Amino acid sequence: MLTTTSSHVLNNARRCCSSSRLVRLISTSTEQKDVVIVGGGPAGLAFAAALGSSKVVSENLRITLIEAGDLSKTKAWTQPEGTFSNRVSSITNSSRGFLEDIGAWSLVDQGRTCSIEEMQIWDGVSDARITFSASDSMFPGGRPRELSRLTENLNLQRALLHQLASNPSVELADKVKVESITREENSEDSIGGGWPLVHLSDGRTIRARLLVGADGFNSPVRKYAGIQSYGWAYDTHGVVGTLFHEPRGPYMPPNTIAYQRFLPTGPIAFLPLSETASSMVWSTKPYLASALKSLDPAVLACMINAAFRLPEVSVRYLHTRILEAAKAGTPLSLKQVREEIEFRERSHDISTRSAYSSLSLTNSSGIPPEDADSLPPLVTGIQPGSVASFPLRFSHAESYIGEGAGSRTVLLGDAAHTTHPLAGQGLNMGLGDAESLSKCIHNAVLRGGDIGSYSSLAPYPLERYFENHKLLAAVDKLHKLYSFTAEPVVWARSVGVEVLNELDTVKTAMMMQAGSHRNMPRPGRVGIDVATNGLEMFASGLNTARSIGEGAVGILGAVVKQLVNPTVRRK
Amino acid sequence: MKPTPSRLLLAHRQIPHFSPPRTIRWRNNATLSPSSSTINQDEIAHFSKLSSQWWDEKGEFGMLHSMNPIRMEFVRNKLVEIAQEDSSPDVEVDGSKVFHGLNVLDVGCGGGLLSESLTRMGANTLGIDASGSNIAIASHHALQDPLLLSNSPTGKGKGKLTYQHTSVEDLLSKRGPESFDVVCSMEVLEHVDNPRSFLDSCARLVKPGGHLFLSTISRTPLAYFLTIFAAENLFRLVEPGTHTHSKFVNPQELIEFFAQYRSSPPPALSHSPPYPPSSLESTQNEETTKSRPWITKLNAQGVPSRLEAETRGIMYLPWRSEWVLAPRGGGVGGLVGDVKKLTELCNYMFWVRKPQKE
Repeated sequence: MLTTTSSHVLNNARRCCSSSRLVRLISTSTEQKDVVIVGGGPAGLAFAAALGSSKVVSENLRITLIEAGDLSKTKAWTQPEGTFSNRVSSITNSSRGFLEDIGAWSLVDQGRTCSIEEMQIWDGVSDARITFSASDSMFPGGRPRELSRLTENLNLQRALLHQLASNPSVELADKVKVESITREENSEDSIGGGWPLVHLSDGRTIRARLLVGADGFNSPVRKYAGIQSYGWAYDTHGVVGTLFHEPRGPYMPPNTIAYQRFLPTGPIAFLPLSETASSMVWSTKPYLASALKSLDPAVLACMINAAFRLPEVSVRYLHTRILEAAKAGTPLSLKQVREEIEFRERSHDISTRSAYSSLSLTNSSGIPPEDADSLPPLVTGIQPGSVASFPLRFSHAESYIGEGAGSRTVLLGDAAHTTHPLAGQGLNMGLGDAESLSKCIHNAVLRGGDIGSYSSLAPYPLERYFENHKLLAAVDKLHKLYSFTAEPVVWARSVGVEVLNELDTVKTAMMMQAGSHRNMPRPGRVGIDVATNGLEMFASGLNTARSIGEGAVGILGAVVKQLVNPTVRRK
Repeated sequence: MKPTPSRLLLAHRQIPHFSPPRTIRWRNNATLSPSSSTINQDEIAHFSKLSSQWWDEKGEFGMLHSMNPIRMEFVRNKLVEIAQEDSSPDVEVDGSKVFHGLNVLDVGCGGGLLSESLTRMGANTLGIDASGSNIAIASHHALQDPLLLSNSPTGKGKGKLTYQHTSVEDLLSKRGPESFDVVCSMEVLEHVDNPRSFLDSCARLVKPGGHLFLSTISRTPLAYFLTIFAAENLFRLVEPGTHTHSKFVNPQELIEFFAQYRSSPPPALSHSPPYPPSSLESTQNEETTKSRPWITKLNAQGVPSRLEAETRGIMYLPWRSEWVLAPRGGGVGGLVGDVKKLTELCNYMFWVRKPQKE
């Protein structure tokens, strides 16, 4: 409430700033909200849920989330058992800790998630391989059970919507588009005003104290804020699909190992969802992506198996074959593809009993061939309708907070940055943003701050910008490095010289545990002490790894072992 | 903009005026008449000139904007600490509600940075400033924010915000003493003409058991270097001429002032003219009729009990563009002795509590 006892002062204020017009503007058609979130994707929903889970924030701020799609469909989402949505994310322990804190993780259908305990990554040209395993990671209080949890995005979004449903402080406005965002008519001076006005397709106009852009790569909020985003489209599309396969045999570890092979055209990843289903992300050239998408599912399954197994030269040959056949309008039949693969395997001296043979289809109950756990199970089918593709790009906004004419805006998730999926960090970065920004707003409210002001928001980019940039740059470099086939580059990346730093960054992001880089002092949760402790543990863990040096191939190999503790196998 | 050579020279010439640290050097103006105020007209003209820039977070007052959150944190934490001390141990004081219903005075509110924050936290806030244009700016800015407007649905549960163009002395004579639960005066003490008289007026406005919060700058070579040489002349973060080094006040001086300061008797018992600004002499003369001093005991390092008064350094970290509050002195993990003093060599916060009625 504002009263001014000195009448000449009030008159003075009115005269100089035409505030009567402003008051009229506020009081008539415009609604007033403290936080307006544009975008109901995983990052936007997680941010809304995090705000709602803070008692201080939900008691003091009015929050609205705007989503063009139908959120009730997402909330009621179901899928028959054994089938999976094709958009999945590997939720790191750190992200999971955040989701647990805000009370959303317990609402995720755990039966549809899959624990990833190990990750095997190898060079498509040299076959140099590194392995990340849950048992390598260091965190206070012992070994974690898993590296990450593979979760369908819809499963997570549904959980977040259920969390939000129990929290009336957040208004969800779905099936509503943002028609335009304008800047409130400002007074002649720079004293105040200039708040964003969000015009919605249902006729509402919301005056936002803080406008949050969780609205994806083409973020209208970022455009309104006047924030430049730099980056480039990779000449790459990601082909996704849900794969079916036999369960792992009795002498094999369960289907909890994620595999990724770096081909010069891009990496292909195999991500377990259950004993008999896994998700694929195959990043490749756009023309190849569209050819793969149009293949008969049985042929595509053969191509996937071959892409993990055949030497690179033969994979390249097969790709040429399907491209030529597609061009000629006579797509390859299953029989033709099998013959091609059989011929290539014979000429590479791959025995049909070997794990590297795509055609063996050995009985899973028998003794598995040697190296069987170096490769994903053979794909036997593809879930109908699950194959899709999308373009991949690198982008990073030059700032996360709008200033000047774009003040009272902030970006998170894909609106702020997009990345190649090879490290599986896109959604995790968005969740990290949501956690950091919600903490920042929580703190600002506790200090009586105007949460739309730069001073209140400043800690958020301080915490996130460099963190995200490091990871974006590392992923970008890995993507580029693995597209080379030139001998020296392949040698260098195979022995680890070229990729040490990038791998370390990516590995840290993937394996950081709850409490080690997260230091959100939520009530009853990990505090700063634990966080510091976690970093110490991590450092001492690296020392331990350093001592396991024997058996390394030469000095360079030893360096690799010291820093990333990989298993280097030369075939 | 680069500082002009003449200003640099002028600034350098002030260096010999440093007094050794911890020497009490109150500039007690002997010619004070009872009705005179502590306001310095040059200072008021300076801030009036800059008033339109109060709310430019990247402008002249950017440093104050970034300082505001930690000032609020210091005030909130201290109120919580004392409220916790006053209540039974099994009640946990809610930091987000500790301001609710309190009458708070913000002396030298400027553009209203602190006043708005106090109001959002639920305090009934009166912001006063000697510059009319500051009050106009503050009033106008608050109009933009529905949380601070009376007719807004979000206004409920929030404090009431009022601005008034007046001096602390005039307010004291108009409102009478013991009117506020909390009196704050942030970054003001180093701009007033007679700090003793100013502190006395502020202190009288505090209710018994209430709180006085100050933030100001130590009179040290480091403070000269950082706040005047670097911030004003070198980097132009702050308008040159904002600070005068000789007006800076050391933490120990504030502590010693309140170690001697005793509240006047309640107004009903007094037949003297209403609340003239007291000088140290008059305080001592009436000693017999007054209660205990605000600070009763100091430890060997000259640090008062945390329940009576506290000083805390605040530091600007340029590489984070952020102000931080120094860890509190004493106790486990706290700073002791010289380390604590090091953190208070430049900007610092001060809190003192008025004794309860006996």
